Amino acid sequence: MTPPPTFARAATRRRLLWIIPLFLLIAAVVTHGVRYRAIAAQVLRADPEAILGDPTLRDAAIAAGHPVYAQHCASCHGAAGKGDRTLGVPDLTDSEHLYREGTVAQIEDIARYGIRAGNKHGWNLAVMPAYASKNPDAAEPLPPQTPAQIETLARFIHAFTAGVTDPAAQQRGRDAYNKAGCWDCHGRDLGGDGAIGAPALTDDIWLYGGSIADIRRSISRGRAGMSPAFARKLTPAELRNVAVYVASLAPIQSDRK
Amino acid sequence: MTQDTASPTPTPPPTLAPAGALWDVHQPVGRRSLLLAAIGALLGLGIAGYGLFTAQGTRTASIPAEDAALVNAIPVLRADLIAQVTALYSVPYAQTTRSQRQKVLDDMVREELYVQRGVEMGLSNDDIDVRQALVQATEGQIAQDAATAKPAEDELRGWYTAHRAKYASEGLMTLHEWRVPAGADPQRAVAALRSGTAPDALGLKTTGRVDDGEEFYFAAHEHLGTRVFAVARGLADGAISNPIPSPDGVHIVQMIRNTRPVATPYPEARDQVLRDFLADKIARLQEGNKRFLKKRADIKIAADLQ
Repeated sequence: MTPPPTFARAATRRRLLWIIPLFLLIAAVVTHGVRYRAIAAQVLRADPEAILGDPTLRDAAIAAGHPVYAQHCASCHGAAGKGDRTLGVPDLTDSEHLYREGTVAQIEDIARYGIRAGNKHGWNLAVMPAYASKNPDAAEPLPPQTPAQIETLARFIHAFTAGVTDPAAQQRGRDAYNKAGCWDCHGRDLGGDGAIGAPALTDDIWLYGGSIADIRRSISRGRAGMSPAFARKLTPAELRNVAVYVASLAPIQSDRK
Repeated sequence: MTQDTASPTPTPPPTLAPAGALWDVHQPVGRRSLLLAAIGALLGLGIAGYGLFTAQGTRTASIPAEDAALVNAIPVLRADLIAQVTALYSVPYAQTTRSQRQKVLDDMVREELYVQRGVEMGLSNDDIDVRQALVQATEGQIAQDAATAKPAEDELRGWYTAHRAKYASEGLMTLHEWRVPAGADPQRAVAALRSGTAPDALGLKTTGRVDDGEEFYFAAHEHLGTRVFAVARGLADGAISNPIPSPDGVHIVQMIRNTRPVATPYPEARDQVLRDFLADKIARLQEGNKRFLKKRADIKIAADLQ
């Protein structure tokens, strides 16, 4: 039995009332998806250093980068990026960068190829030698230091943040610093070298702690922190996004390249 | 007479449904089914085509956003281009010119072409450097897989407990090493030293091997040699050793202070524990990988070399 035409028309109109919003919803979802993909592609194509200055790209990259950070980086760097001194994991929220200037491209490079992670593209140039051992550095013949020399060096470096109380001891420390070859990595001015990840020794930012015991241990036993290479674990988009997210944690530097 | 002829009712010719009927779901319209099927087919083709031409490894339609170029479907990463451009010209990427970027990209494309050609020519089998690089890269890949997962705290603590001695501090000793003069009685010299007689009064001369003050164990070992060091290591603060016969005469060790290695607490050794744990994990993975490769390979060794 066919429904009366009037009833059928009313039923069709009711269905249309549902179908139109459904189509609109689908259209909105598709449009959003297309736009999202377009912005994601723009993030990848853009000059990495320009992303933080573009609100659309910045927001998209940070939103996509945060979950990647939470899954792959937070276990060492901490949820807030504050690092972990017991592992020598750097604080990502300060303005100090161990390797170069902390640009998005440089951070992405580290995330992709790692530090001492077995990837030839990564940062593998230097380690802090263990001077209280027969062979302080496996890669380079360096003379071990005596306990007295290590103590002199530790006090010399500690004095930059704790204050100099004995100028003569400080001069002995500087002589020991030069004689031991510390300047080769950390520089004559102890300002460090971002090209090999040698930290500055005169400021109050410490990777492994700045007490005299911490410094003594660093000199005696050496340090060689590692950051994994995610080249084959994360997609290029994930690497770019997480790099932008990490860069956004640090204060903006006017001289940043 | 009338003839009753039963004439069949003529079937009405199929008529086209009115235009509005296509959208009236209560009216059966053949074209609607065709139209919906066509829309479905187009959608399916579109999705399949998109997947086919954009999936990883099948990039043929366009250059993916993350790549600067594709060379025989092998990507040249935009990030690598940026790194090379900035490294070469020592200025931010934004300040480099189009021609500078073009030059670097050309070099990268050339390199990729040569790499691909080299693989075609079998250089990976012939060239020593390429072979070594391949071995290292494969080993590195295993290392990457091992290092991207941070071990649990329990695993690190377990490792530390099992290898506690490795995380002990280096022992320290301050000592004198005396040489007994020819003709003197070593036992009497030892007894005199133990009773507090000054070495000078006994005619003892230093060997000069450990006169620099406090030394690490490894340095003392190096200076004294294994035999004398083993004796020295067992001495307590202030102790005098028994006479030690040596090729150049009899020696006596006088220990001033012997600081034995002390276990470093876990929190202080954590970075080293993590490093060693990962190194061990990588070594085990590489060993397992070697076994797997050998197992699946067809290796035949000459009879005289087996």
